[in-house]
Amino acid sequence: MRFAPRAAALLAAFALTFGLTACGTNSGSNAPAGSSGTSGSSAAGGSPAAGGSGGTSANLTGELTVWAMGNEGTKLKTLADAFVKANPGVKVSVTPVDWGQAVAKLQTAIAGGTTPDVSQMGTDMMGQFGATGAFEPVPADFDKSQFFEGAWNTNIVNGAAVGVPWYVETRLLYYRKDIATKAGITSPPATWDDLKAMAKALQSKGGAKYGISLGTKNWQEYFPFLWSNGGDVVDASGKPALNSPQAVEALTFYDSFFKEGLTPKSVPEGFDITPAFVKGDYPMFFSGPWHLGLIKDAGGAGFDDKWAIAPMPKKTSATSFVGGSNIVVYKNSKNKDAAWAFVKFLSDPTTQALWYKTVTDLPAVQSAWQDPAVASDPNVKMFGDQLKDTKAQPATATWSELSSAINDILEKMTTGGIEPQAAADQMQQAAESIGVK
Amino acid sequence: MTAPALSRRSVAQRGASPVAARRGWRRDLTGWAFAAPFVVLFGVFMALPIIASFVLSFTSFGLRDLQNPIGASFVGVDNYARLLSDAKFWKALGNTFYFVGVGVPLTLGIGLLIASALSRGITRFRTAYRVGFYLPVITSIVAIAVVWRFLLNPDIGLINVLLRNVGIDGPNWLADKTLAMPAIIAMAVWRNLGFAMVVFIAGLQAIPAVLYEASSIDGAGRWASFRYVTLPMLRPTILFMLVITTIGYLQLFEEPFVMTGGGPLDATLSVTMYMFQQGFAFFKQGYASAIAYVLFVIVAVIAFLQFRFLREDA
Repeated sequence: MRFAPRAAALLAAFALTFGLTACGTNSGSNAPAGSSGTSGSSAAGGSPAAGGSGGTSANLTGELTVWAMGNEGTKLKTLADAFVKANPGVKVSVTPVDWGQAVAKLQTAIAGGTTPDVSQMGTDMMGQFGATGAFEPVPADFDKSQFFEGAWNTNIVNGAAVGVPWYVETRLLYYRKDIATKAGITSPPATWDDLKAMAKALQSKGGAKYGISLGTKNWQEYFPFLWSNGGDVVDASGKPALNSPQAVEALTFYDSFFKEGLTPKSVPEGFDITPAFVKGDYPMFFSGPWHLGLIKDAGGAGFDDKWAIAPMPKKTSATSFVGGSNIVVYKNSKNKDAAWAFVKFLSDPTTQALWYKTVTDLPAVQSAWQDPAVASDPNVKMFGDQLKDTKAQPATATWSELSSAINDILEKMTTGGIEPQAAADQMQQAAESIGVK
Repeated sequence: MTAPALSRRSVAQRGASPVAARRGWRRDLTGWAFAAPFVVLFGVFMALPIIASFVLSFTSFGLRDLQNPIGASFVGVDNYARLLSDAKFWKALGNTFYFVGVGVPLTLGIGLLIASALSRGITRFRTAYRVGFYLPVITSIVAIAVVWRFLLNPDIGLINVLLRNVGIDGPNWLADKTLAMPAIIAMAVWRNLGFAMVVFIAGLQAIPAVLYEASSIDGAGRWASFRYVTLPMLRPTILFMLVITTIGYLQLFEEPFVMTGGGPLDATLSVTMYMFQQGFAFFKQGYASAIAYVLFVIVAVIAFLQFRFLREDA
């Protein structure tokens, strides 16, 4: 009786899950569906004459198949054309892959030995796919110091780099300047204590419904507090450290916002922070660069001076989360020289700046941030500054399972079921039983 | 047409002459050729995966085996043993039984009620009612779930807005761990009772009117004629609906998947959702296959019991 619609629904279900897992945004997060980049205007368009400075055009020949997801997939041709211009012997064909199907498609390709030469890979997918052994290790002549350290580290699977950062995103604090002024606050919060005081003031004196919006079950929002407090998911010896004193303290701080009613214990399914922020109900939240455009659109004329962004508040450090995408070369590739030349080209500062102009993906290469196109926007620059102090989830094969367990435990804590110490112990137990290898 | 067919069969049955045997063999082939599209499709897309997943359930097949599936190691009944101590699986199983235990009687009960009303009481706009109740059955479940999510939204949802008008501050239905499952059951009942209604109407129409006449002559009231005529006569129909609905409900998936994601705090996590999570989100396909087979056995046992106790001659 329910079978025909069931099949259709299952397809949609697949699309939904993979859509969510692939871009690394969990339910309850402030991130929109889709990849981490805003759908930017292709300002520059066309192929730049100077684009090909990065490729070592040592008479490369052959064909390259490149898979890229979402917005990147549809716009990558611009870069591929520039690469071909510098390396006329190589033919590059770009296959756009929908984020919703990316995981299934990659699994099928790896299982069937039909992988492309090069593909984009979400930073949160590295561990999962790296474990299959399908990626080629990065050649030693890649200079890792040119990338943001946090972004480079997302490529390390079992101690070896198997990918190269392509573009990045990190999380900052978005806050309502006008409500802060009303509450007597004139500068963004510099420390954890400031953040707490500000949330309280915005709610009590600023007239906002809540002080801040924090995810009830989102590790991406909890981890910056863990890292900023000197903790980490795994310690230096590679063992889980999710119930370290630093972790318990970070969880206690995170939970206090829920306990004190500064952020709600539950939000409706499909909650969208953007209109809630514009309306003033939630005057603060942490999110990535895509919200710059979303707020601008939702706020309309005259809203621009009512809000601002600020770096992570500091405890022992001010470490934020880094996401984005990497570029990997597959072991199956028959044209590895050209493949790595293409990867080098993509990570050339000039190409990176051009890519920012094309799809507004933030450059993973530090020197690209000197390009006037990137540096001219003060808000974007703030993301660049934050990127110098970022970390990411460990690239373990078990990450999707472990992160889901962590989210479950966070939810138990934020809804008032368990205390931070118990939450930390349960997370540690989950990490030990699921494994972080 | 029938005559030659019959005579040919009688020849084949005698089976003495080699000509006839060849003919019989050829007819078998023709039969198989006609059945081939189904047999091949069923074999490749149903039977093979069913066997493969059964084998998988005894392996630790996971991400690392993707490139070399044959290399997955056999772990015996490990997956099944682990399930026994997997608290989340038990929680999912409990949720599923909750859904079935409350959802199935409600669906059948309300379906039968509406069917009786529409086949006897209500005469005006009868077709409009039937269409109205049946429409959700043929609408995409994902679309329905998304719309219900809006209806149940605590701030702007229709249900809470109506409640607010009468002075009640409605809860955050889907985010409340005691209310989320009832909300999902309500939606499933509303969606599926149309099918129950149609089947019951057909069953009711097959009951001879003379029985009702006889019972009213005997002085039976409305309730008595329902209890002693309608119910016994409908027994096969009820059994059919009970089995079909139970099997469907045991596979609860889309509703929580779209509406709650299994939450809050796993309150709406169903067995199939947990299986999906293990198999496709975490790619532990060996474990997921074991879950699938446990569910299969549960479905089979429950269906068997229902047949056993509700048969005509039981």
